[in-house]
Amino acid sequence: MKELLLEIFGWLGYLERPSVLLQLGLVIAVLLLTRRAQRRRWLQPLPLRAYAPVGILTLALGCGVLAGLGLPQGLASLLGLQWLGWFGISLLPQRLHQLESRLLRPAYLVGSALLLIREVDNLNDIAVIQLGEVLGVSVSFGKLFNSLVVIYLVLVGCGPPAAGVAWLAQRSLGLSDGSRKAMELMLRYLVVGLGLVGVAMHLGINSTVLIAVAGGLSVGLGFGVKEVFSNFVSGIWLLFEGSVRPGEVLMLDGDPCEVRSLGLRATLLWRNRDNAELLIPNQTFFTTAATTYTASDRMRRSQVSIGAAYHHDPAEVIALLEATALEVARVLPQPAPKALLLNYGDFAINYALRFWIANPMDNVGICSEVNQAIWQAFRRGGIEIPFPQQVQYPIAWPPEDHQSKQVNSI
Amino acid sequence: MVAKCPRSGMMGQIVPSMAPPPAPQQPRRRRDRLLSLLGGLALLVPLGGCTLGRELPNVIYVAIGANKDQIIDAELKQEFQVGLREVEARFRQIHPDTHFQFGLYPEDQMVEVMRQRSRSGLAPDLLLVNGDTVLHLRQAGLVDPFPIRKDQLAIFNEEELGRLRSPDGQLAGLPVLVQTQLGCFNRQRLSEPPATLQELLNATANGHPMGLSLDLYYLFWIVGSTGALPAIDKAVLGQPLNPADRQALTDWLAWLQNASNQQRVTFFPDQPTAEAEFKAGRLDWIPCRSIVVPQLRQVMGSALGVAPLPDGDGHRASPVNRLRVLALGPSSSAAGRRRALAFSSYSVNPLTQRTLTLGSQTVLPANRFVTVPVQSSQVLAAMVAAANQGLQANSLVTLVHSNDPRIPRLQTLLTQLVFGEANPNGATTELIEILQARP
Repeated sequence: MKELLLEIFGWLGYLERPSVLLQLGLVIAVLLLTRRAQRRRWLQPLPLRAYAPVGILTLALGCGVLAGLGLPQGLASLLGLQWLGWFGISLLPQRLHQLESRLLRPAYLVGSALLLIREVDNLNDIAVIQLGEVLGVSVSFGKLFNSLVVIYLVLVGCGPPAAGVAWLAQRSLGLSDGSRKAMELMLRYLVVGLGLVGVAMHLGINSTVLIAVAGGLSVGLGFGVKEVFSNFVSGIWLLFEGSVRPGEVLMLDGDPCEVRSLGLRATLLWRNRDNAELLIPNQTFFTTAATTYTASDRMRRSQVSIGAAYHHDPAEVIALLEATALEVARVLPQPAPKALLLNYGDFAINYALRFWIANPMDNVGICSEVNQAIWQAFRRGGIEIPFPQQVQYPIAWPPEDHQSKQVNSI
Repeated sequence: MVAKCPRSGMMGQIVPSMAPPPAPQQPRRRRDRLLSLLGGLALLVPLGGCTLGRELPNVIYVAIGANKDQIIDAELKQEFQVGLREVEARFRQIHPDTHFQFGLYPEDQMVEVMRQRSRSGLAPDLLLVNGDTVLHLRQAGLVDPFPIRKDQLAIFNEEELGRLRSPDGQLAGLPVLVQTQLGCFNRQRLSEPPATLQELLNATANGHPMGLSLDLYYLFWIVGSTGALPAIDKAVLGQPLNPADRQALTDWLAWLQNASNQQRVTFFPDQPTAEAEFKAGRLDWIPCRSIVVPQLRQVMGSALGVAPLPDGDGHRASPVNRLRVLALGPSSSAAGRRRALAFSSYSVNPLTQRTLTLGSQTVLPANRFVTVPVQSSQVLAAMVAAANQGLQANSLVTLVHSNDPRIPRLQTLLTQLVFGEANPNGATTELIEILQARP
């Protein structure tokens, strides 16, 4: 490490050279002027985005002048090109934002840094600098750099390929969406695991030593970061078990919630009612009971309750309710809707209409549609939905004096 | 400063600023001011460079050319580092607070590297490269002429200095060291090293495995031993070749093919492979460079023997010894150039040259007034003999640069010959054509 720091510190000596300072001064001056011009809108008709190209053009002109005078300008040109590339990345479409922020910009920064280092030193030479020993293996800067790049790429870049393989598997094996998402996640874990093992092998770390260290770490993990580790293991377990997979619908505090993703520590759920995203630690699902509508299939049996007046024939009402449910588009025809006479209420006969829906998350909306259809059907069929009724008797005391002539209906 | 004050109109009235309220802008303004300050400093430093320059480390940037048979790895870097640290420590006794930063580059990429770094003004202050490379760099304008002092002229061999002069008569670099080509053998298996080509073949016939590299650089010594060197010189110079010259060339090629037919002579694709086999004890003799002797000794210990390469019948071997030269990069500051020149002078003074030679036992001094104690060391004696052997190849080395496009063609021809794809007579004609085709 000391050697690497000395190497980096040694580059400062280049600042002794007037030609280097001139180039750096030119780049810094143009950058500052461009920033100021942008903030103060010096070039008013130009849109804000056009200031950077103007700055780059100015820098290019400056480099041209230096070249014309026979002075070195390679460093300023390189920095200008890097600025141009950075600006170019910002022009990418918005839909590539995640790719841009997670992969393109970091990769561009690393590449630019390497190009700048190549201007002052030999990259191969720096790569062989020994930084120290890890588990009895000497680690060079190059090896460490490659390992970090591989780990980063594996973590960031394994998503799209894993999704692609899972999609192919879904197409060829006819898997459900939930299984596809679970497979995608497991593939990601697998690739990350293989990547880490590959990096360890690239570094030349002895597998026996790794196992010994893992044994020691497991004790530490058991005490130190128990919760994190417990959540991680719960997540893996749930994934393999298939009970909590992305796309599943679970009841949480009486609300149906859809599993969006199963992370290393927590599961992300989406609640339709208020569009809230809930982060629930994985071990919650591991240790407490949960209701799911999507374990074996995604169908849900739903129900609405309705009261009809006593003078209507219950058989007619039941037939009308079942026919009405079938008219609602999102109610499944099979299993067929079923209406039941539940009980005789105070002022109405109470019925329940049970029907099946394809997506549990749509329950509230479909119930509303069914209720509306019932109202319309009752209106057409002349079936009364009675208001609550109560008969009150004024009573005289003692009861012998009571005359049941004054009756008030409310 | 501007951002802090309200802007005034011509009559001194306050012009309302369009900027947002000042409070959220404070951190950004502070950052801008800091950036302005840094930018201003960067612009002012060239003017006041003398003052600020004193605070910067006194670094001599040295680019060292690694030959293609040297793999740039931690081991090689360590080797150079150890050697340079000793020199640095001694140099700092005279010039305190001077640090060295060296970078290893493949010798055949040196022109490209220097071109790129000179464009940025970041070329190293000094280059330690082969004599032919420095001429190439000078012709491309990538190193400055070396301002040798008159008193320094006398300490070098006039012919050597002549070979380092560019067509405009200026010196491309300062000769510092000579790396020689030797024969390395396993003492435990081979009591006496082969002194002639015939002895070499006899030893193989007696059961001693020998290794040769297909690399032209490591095969060229046989040209001298077979007496073909004058013919090669003539062909390269474009002079007509008489039948005797042709025959000499055919003899060289025939010897190579004959050797490849021997059961115990193995041709390896490159020198590092041959050295690895030698270290592993599977070969008894190989050609080697003086610079690898410490590495071989580290593995083989006292079993390693070193001798000059085998001569021929009435002809001396023609090893390609490498003259290592210090050259001046074109981007140095005035102070950097002073330091580079001071170190150059220091590196050729007799004491340093003697220390380098005796300390490393891998190089010979370029300073002709430094006497090499050949009696005290067999390695040094072999190196001096090799240096004398190599004198006859010096003119050819100047004419054919290591990046010469004819070399890959020659390499292919020799490979075909060794594998029996070409016969010596046919190969002679092709050889002459290649050598006479000037790039």
